[in-house]
Amino acid sequence: MQGMSPIVKNITRVVAGFIVLFGAYIVLYGHVTPGGGFTGGVILAGGLALVVLAFGEEFARKVLTHEVAKTADSMGALLFLLVAVLGFAGGVFFTNFLPTGTVGSLVSAGTIPIANLGIGIKVGAGLFGVFLALAAFRRTTAGGKKEVDVLQSDI
Amino acid sequence: MTLAMLPFMLAFLLLVAGLYAIVAKRNLIKVIVGLLILDYAANLLLVLMGYRTPPAGEAPVAPILTGGLAQADDLAASAVDPIPQALILTSIVIGLSVTALVVALAIRLYEKYGTFDTDLMRNLKG
Repeated sequence: MQGMSPIVKNITRVVAGFIVLFGAYIVLYGHVTPGGGFTGGVILAGGLALVVLAFGEEFARKVLTHEVAKTADSMGALLFLLVAVLGFAGGVFFTNFLPTGTVGSLVSAGTIPIANLGIGIKVGAGLFGVFLALAAFRRTTAGGKKEVDVLQSDI
Repeated sequence: MTLAMLPFMLAFLLLVAGLYAIVAKRNLIKVIVGLLILDYAANLLLVLMGYRTPPAGEAPVAPILTGGLAQADDLAASAVDPIPQALILTSIVIGLSVTALVVALAIRLYEKYGTFDTDLMRNLKG
């Protein structure tokens, strides 16, 4: 899969940072506004998929590789597990042991923003890894170079 | 059959449409689309359960705190339930992951058999 025209590449250089920033905002403010880890992770994965689509397969092999996606995936899961195990400091597994502040401010609600961060990293890296494995790397089809008509209209 | 039950009946109609596509279609991609419709119909039904009808003549209240913490108690008594909405967000992303798995299986099946027709896939030998 090769990259796209220079217009697309220049616009992607400007826009991709804002998309990742918006995804991070949705993840970090998950306990105040609608959103949280899952939707913020999906937006992050969309931004990364935009970069790989615009710059082609070489970018996916050199900079944002499949190994990076797998490592970030595992790091997100380990962060969530760390938050849950550290709950033993408060008594039981997965207790909210940090102080809960005032409703509506950013630094509040105990360990929930950290858990949201772990979920956001995991979902973003996981969906980006799925996109790379399904769409970005070339594969041979059965029977040679046949055009795929997916919705074959007689069946 | 009151008018209040109409959203639930339409969600059930979507569910039946998805189930029909899974059961009765031969093309694998149409089966996958039926699975998607079934998943989203179930999510829609669960979100519809959280609705709270307002008193007669008023608009339904969204669960957003605009007046600070002092407004929280009467907002909790009159607003639409936000817990199903938050949990269905999770469920939608899970449905996306299931779709990714099923599409990967379909790609692999196409590479092996060269067709998307499930009747032919039963007859061909690997």
